[in-house]
Amino acid sequence: MYRLFLAIRYLLTRPINLLGMGGIAISVWALVVVVSLFSGVMAVIERHVQEAGADLMVTGLPEWAEWSRVDSALGDDPNVAATAPRLLHYGLLLRPGERPPTPPLPGRSALNGGDQPFLFVLGIDPDKEREATEFERWLGSADIPPALRVPDPDAPLADRDGTPTVLVGLDRMQREGYAIGDRLRLTTARLVPGEGGGKTPVRLELDLVVGGAYRTSHGGFTGNNVFVAYSTLARALFPDRGDPVQEVAVRVHDQTQLDATAERLQRTVHRAVERDGLGFGQVETWRQRNGQMLANVAHQRTLLKIVLIVILVVAAFLMLATLSMTVTEKIADIGILTAMGGTPGGVTLVFLASGLVITFVGVLLGLTTGVLTSVYLEEIRQGVLWAFGVDLFRLDTYNLTRVPYLIEPIWLLQVTLMALVTGLVVSAIPALRAARHDPLVSLRGV
Amino acid sequence: MTAVLQARAITKSYAIGKREIPVLRGVDLDLHAGEKVALLGASGAGKSTLLHLLGLLDRPTAGEVRYDGRPVQDLSVAERALLRHRQVGFVFQFYHLIPELTALQNVLLARMMGTTVFGYWRQRRRARSAGVAMLEQVGLGERLHHRPAELSGGERQRVAIARALLAEPRVLLADEPTGNLDSETAQGVVELMFSIQRERDLAFLLVTHDEQLAARCDRIVRMKDGTIQGSRPGDVQPEDSAQAD
Ligand SMILES: Nc1ncnc2c1ncn2[C@@H]1O[C@H](COP(=O)(O)OP(=O)(O)O)[C@@H](O)[C@H]1O
Ligand SMILES: [Mg+2]
Repeated sequence: MYRLFLAIRYLLTRPINLLGMGGIAISVWALVVVVSLFSGVMAVIERHVQEAGADLMVTGLPEWAEWSRVDSALGDDPNVAATAPRLLHYGLLLRPGERPPTPPLPGRSALNGGDQPFLFVLGIDPDKEREATEFERWLGSADIPPALRVPDPDAPLADRDGTPTVLVGLDRMQREGYAIGDRLRLTTARLVPGEGGGKTPVRLELDLVVGGAYRTSHGGFTGNNVFVAYSTLARALFPDRGDPVQEVAVRVHDQTQLDATAERLQRTVHRAVERDGLGFGQVETWRQRNGQMLANVAHQRTLLKIVLIVILVVAAFLMLATLSMTVTEKIADIGILTAMGGTPGGVTLVFLASGLVITFVGVLLGLTTGVLTSVYLEEIRQGVLWAFGVDLFRLDTYNLTRVPYLIEPIWLLQVTLMALVTGLVVSAIPALRAARHDPLVSLRGV
Repeated sequence: MTAVLQARAITKSYAIGKREIPVLRGVDLDLHAGEKVALLGASGAGKSTLLHLLGLLDRPTAGEVRYDGRPVQDLSVAERALLRHRQVGFVFQFYHLIPELTALQNVLLARMMGTTVFGYWRQRRRARSAGVAMLEQVGLGERLHHRPAELSGGERQRVAIARALLAEPRVLLADEPTGNLDSETAQGVVELMFSIQRERDLAFLLVTHDEQLAARCDRIVRMKDGTIQGSRPGDVQPEDSAQAD
């Protein structure tokens, strides 16, 4: 008991020890807040890419691939719940006669974008797509104003007055001022076999009519892709082929078996799409497809963790300095405490207790303020925006309404342990010096 | 009746480099309950060393220290600390109060030793009133919340006495307790210690340079060159001096 009591009295009479405590608290705070923010962003990205994609995607199918063969091969797998064929093309989508500006071209998996006329055109079968992806939700998104909603969600891509329909991302619709029924022209090219085995691009123009808006939470996907009917694109690109397919969206029954299913389906696809002993097509889970992006964020998070742990160590050095001062000043008390009935070793624990009190209070402060800060990040962002005009976090980058955070108990535990161990080590150093001090030296007087 | 505290043929030497410097060369001493013994001797005679050995702060090089007839050299560090806590009160020349604590806290520290946080919490009221009573007994009822820096030398030594006695030890070891005080203040401190000693029937060993003060004790022990010279005023014990050489 006397140790804790003395440790606290020593600390209270030496406010300089607040430095070390503050250092520990700040570094723990930062470790909690920064990592919670990054984890929150990662969770958001995962949610968004998952919502805008299928569980599994088969991509890279050659132009001679047949949907009927691929579909029946995939359908044999026990974990496949639904499949949907996609044709993938690209082009400029403009009002007839409009001349586009020259824009930068972002990658297809950019987090946001869609502000250039060059885009990807997905030929889909709405009924199958509905089964394999969240297509239904994309059309029904609450963000879409009634005037831009697809009038007949059961047949969203039905021709209007004989003209094929196109579904455009909500942001693009609003930016370009498209209304349902507006006529657009897709300007693109297709490759036709030329003389000598080569391929020649041939200009291809498709007249389309706007059928309505869709929206996924993945801004990059919504911005850069438009939907037309599978049959429209098939007719235009493969006029003499019955059932071409370039990509397949696959929904599985059991999400936990996703990776195993992907490996299995990879073999299935290679068997089904094979020529001269070579299998074509690639099967990826939604996580693999976006793995690079998620890995990038995770990498940044790791770097920040390292930087912040270094700060924790610096704070510990600060603590070491002030604790050493305390020990130097108070080492003489060891004598009388021993005389009063302490064991020499036990008495030096007073100094260890001092360090541990600093660490405990620092960690506790850091954890509580860290968790509170994480929870109220959005309020803090707004406060800073209001007071300084600085936006600390661009919500529209991720299509968010508030700053994301994800408090992982495991991480809190890790931070606590890390700080406690650091604090323990740093407290032990001066305490050991005290332990080597002979209590009798101070009792004998000067 | 066995003495509370006994020293038998105690020797103590310190190693300075390769040389062994003998400080105590065979000391025998008995201390009974209710007995006041004065320990006189020139500076450097080994008085403090003996006191530390008797109070279990240090171990003799050879010989035995006994509490109630029981040798203590085989006890563990923790057992010796507990014995020290229960049986011995120390008063030193330089008070050794902890400057961060008030007079009352300094005294209560004696009660906190040897209990857990919860153990102390349960008895905190009793402990506090015992501490206050103790400080009132040494005449510092008005100084409970003063820090050592706010107290005079005499008052500090009174706090130290209160602290030494709070755990109700049977032995009081005082190492030149008045060495730092003017004679008038010293007088007061001595009277206080004597009265408490009487009241509690303590075995009291008083190291001092003051012959007059020593004369008021039941017995005087003189130390010279690490041996006991006599145990009654003016008395020299021949067998002790023979042992010394
Ligand atoms: N730790 C030590 N190392 C070496 N010599 C010591 C040590 N402590 C005390 N001494 C020596 O022991 C002798 C007795 O000291 P002490 O018991 O303090 O004498 P007194 O209290 O009678 O003045 C002195 O000569 C002192 O120098
Ligand atoms: Mg001395």
